[in-house]
Amino acid sequence: MSVGADSKSLKNLLQGQSQLSASPLDRVNQLRTNAVNQVNILNLPTKHDEDWRFTDISPLTKISFQPVREASPLKNSDVEHFYLTEAVTRLVFIDGIYAPHLSTQIAEPFKKSGVVVSSLAAASSENLAAIESHLGYHTELQDNIFAALNTSFLHEGALIIVPRNISVETPIHLLFIATQKEVSSHPRCLLIAEPNSRVTVIEDYVTLREETYITNTVAEFALADSAHVDHVRIQRDSKEAFHIANCSVSLAQKSNYQSVSIAFGARISRYNLNVLLKGEGAECTADGLALISNRQLADTHACIDHIKPHCTSHQLHKCIIDDAAHAVFNGKIIVRPDAQLTNSTQSNRNLLLTSKARIDTKPQLEIFADDVKCAHGATIGQLDNEEIFYLKSRGLSEVTARDLLTYAFGAEVIERIPVASLKLRLEQVVHKQTQRD
Amino acid sequence: MGAVLQNLINKPYEHGFVTDIESDVAPKGLNEDTIRLISSKKNEPEWLLDFRLKAYQKWLTMEEPEWSNVRYPKIDFQAISYYSSPKPKKKLASMDEVDPELLRTFEKLGVPMSERAALAGVAVDVIFDSVSVATTYKKKLAEVGIIFGSFTEAVHSHPDLIKKYLGSVVPVGDNYYAALNSAVFTDGSFCYIPKGVKCPMDLSTYFRINTEESGQFERTLIIAEEGSSVSYLEGCTAPRFDTNQLHAAVVELVAMDNADIKYSTVQNWYAGDENGIGGIYNFVTKRGLAKGKNSRISWTQVETGSAITWKYPSCVLQGDNSVGEFYSVAVTNNYQQADTGTKMIHIGKNTRSTIVSKGISAGHSNNSYRGLVRIAPTAAGARNFSQCDSMLIGDLCSASTFPYIQTRNNSAKVEHEASTSKIGEDQLFYFAQRGIGSEEAVSMIINGFCKDVFQQLPMEFAVEATNLLGLKLEGSVG
Repeated sequence: MSVGADSKSLKNLLQGQSQLSASPLDRVNQLRTNAVNQVNILNLPTKHDEDWRFTDISPLTKISFQPVREASPLKNSDVEHFYLTEAVTRLVFIDGIYAPHLSTQIAEPFKKSGVVVSSLAAASSENLAAIESHLGYHTELQDNIFAALNTSFLHEGALIIVPRNISVETPIHLLFIATQKEVSSHPRCLLIAEPNSRVTVIEDYVTLREETYITNTVAEFALADSAHVDHVRIQRDSKEAFHIANCSVSLAQKSNYQSVSIAFGARISRYNLNVLLKGEGAECTADGLALISNRQLADTHACIDHIKPHCTSHQLHKCIIDDAAHAVFNGKIIVRPDAQLTNSTQSNRNLLLTSKARIDTKPQLEIFADDVKCAHGATIGQLDNEEIFYLKSRGLSEVTARDLLTYAFGAEVIERIPVASLKLRLEQVVHKQTQRD
Repeated sequence: MGAVLQNLINKPYEHGFVTDIESDVAPKGLNEDTIRLISSKKNEPEWLLDFRLKAYQKWLTMEEPEWSNVRYPKIDFQAISYYSSPKPKKKLASMDEVDPELLRTFEKLGVPMSERAALAGVAVDVIFDSVSVATTYKKKLAEVGIIFGSFTEAVHSHPDLIKKYLGSVVPVGDNYYAALNSAVFTDGSFCYIPKGVKCPMDLSTYFRINTEESGQFERTLIIAEEGSSVSYLEGCTAPRFDTNQLHAAVVELVAMDNADIKYSTVQNWYAGDENGIGGIYNFVTKRGLAKGKNSRISWTQVETGSAITWKYPSCVLQGDNSVGEFYSVAVTNNYQQADTGTKMIHIGKNTRSTIVSKGISAGHSNNSYRGLVRIAPTAAGARNFSQCDSMLIGDLCSASTFPYIQTRNNSAKVEHEASTSKIGEDQLFYFAQRGIGSEEAVSMIINGFCKDVFQQLPMEFAVEATNLLGLKLEGSVG
């Protein structure tokens, strides 16, 4: 791929950036300027870059994407099937633009105690200090052109602040709806969990039409001492779309981050999850499931970085790959010199359903401390013939037995989602997809 | 525990000495003339010179690889002498005629060749720097039709075989160092096992790097015809020097139907001093082609030396039902760096591979496993099992694993697991409770950790390997 193609496509992706109005927040303007500079320096990654070796994003350069000019006029009835019964607090973004008429406010008692769930642009002055000290600090823009691109368009975005000692019982639903063709959207999330707070966040990417568009997200999660965050991330974009996501999590002492990430959609999707265990005794669980078919490509790059001692991390990533789909997994665990008594496990399990399905996996360990417990494993295979035989001996047909086992393989991850209605809904999707006709 | 380990770790290199033999050294630098000089010195036929020049042209277009997890100052390829051969050069028929100085060198190493050859029944093709000086047991091998000798000799006596197989497994442009080797290789070993022959003894070569600042570019080619089998041993020691020496060898194995090649290495080149000064750069390309049905290629390596090791003995499993194996122990200490592992390329149906890698790092060293398991769409029913364990001694060293797994066939089954551990206080306490001192306990734990690999080594090598680990880490291993 020539350099010319790169710069052209980048220009395309930066289209409309200069028309953005200046933000009332100085920090945002400053981040944007810096990010535009980065975008101009960086090249679009190719298969020659180690991090993108198996994920060819050159199809992205063939299409001209623009930020949405006019928001689609959606009514509640158009999108209410995406709503979750448990999640009474909801922020809705249509093609990246905040839709206040579809969103719901946080319940009054929480609002009084200082919980903030709002658009970044609508943040009130008392939250400025918190935003200034976190926004853009957790995501590295160097060598990450997509994060830089997202930051260039930083404008609205989801802001969640949970103050000290507050536990928000009901999950917060961040719903990102794509509606238009050849549109680029750059959703941004910032979650600040103050000491000893607790919250569940659902980041949900959906579409109303099977179109080609690009969603390029950045999420930053900052957990202070003893904070607990459950994070569910569902990517069910159009099967023609591109979905690039960066999520950076920073964990202070004894904080706990539990996440489940599900990828069903997108023609090409890439999820970068970076977790920094910065305080002693922090815990992290990062599970994932990719269920893909046809010519889809789902790429997950996770980096769990143990900086301080006594931290724990567990990761289970599963892929079910049908037709000529292609899954990529790269899981890196770093244990820094100081991080003694780290306990870290990682497991990547892959199920190939057809002879054209493809998987490239690389579970990686980089260890610089001696008193640690680290293990990783990767398996690739098909359904166990003995398990199928067992079910057949119980009177199930071959097809039913296979469906059941495939479903069970994926359901192990879905089961870890702490929101019942969402779990049920996703189980149905997995069930439907794993049913052979 | 700290003090004991410190003592164990700081054992000086015992094989550091320079043998005083006059060398015929080519001027430093690399260009077409150097290659022509090497070729003419060795009276090579035209086609081999062409092979070298082609490789050189290819090398010029390539870039030094930088992806590995090792750091070193840039190598000046023009500051290396590409040819050195010890004098006198007259052909020797028996051990008695070998230069006594050379024999003394082997005695210092603790492997007197005569005794070793007699006791162990091992034919040793002695490579001293780059020219083969003496070959033993040749007659006995010739009786069953086995050709085993120096590469240079084979170029003249069996040009057809060399022409057919040279570069067939590792093409000249395979990688930067393989291209360099193809251009300037000086000598090496050649081994041909005819159809249906089981090699009656383990074949062995002793490599030694001797002249200061002379790069060593060995070339090994082993061909096992249908139904044959061979076990090949390679052991390495080198004297102490303060300038880094480059070693870029190429080893090619070819196994036909039902053939079996077992290749074992013990590598204990000079690793540099405790401050990381000096030591060998070991950039080796080793690859076996399991060409025939039911063929088997097995690599076993014990890597304890070299300042930098960059080595990935690989198997291309082309024949149906062929088997590839890789057993490795890599020990790094002080400022040593090792980036080693294997590649298993499954092409044929029902091909199987096993990878067992044990890495031990101590001091400030850096030990990485880098491996690739690739299942091609044609490799129905392929099976791989990989296990990579690391042990860290002290908190200044590091261990990394970079396993690449690429699968294009859904009937394949691939498993990979890796773990990291240390020698626990509780383990040492348990030994102490049974009356076993910490030094002995450490050696037992480490030997237990490496047992799966040592079991794969031929008997006499297994003893040597255990001793080497002793030298490196433990002091005295029973």
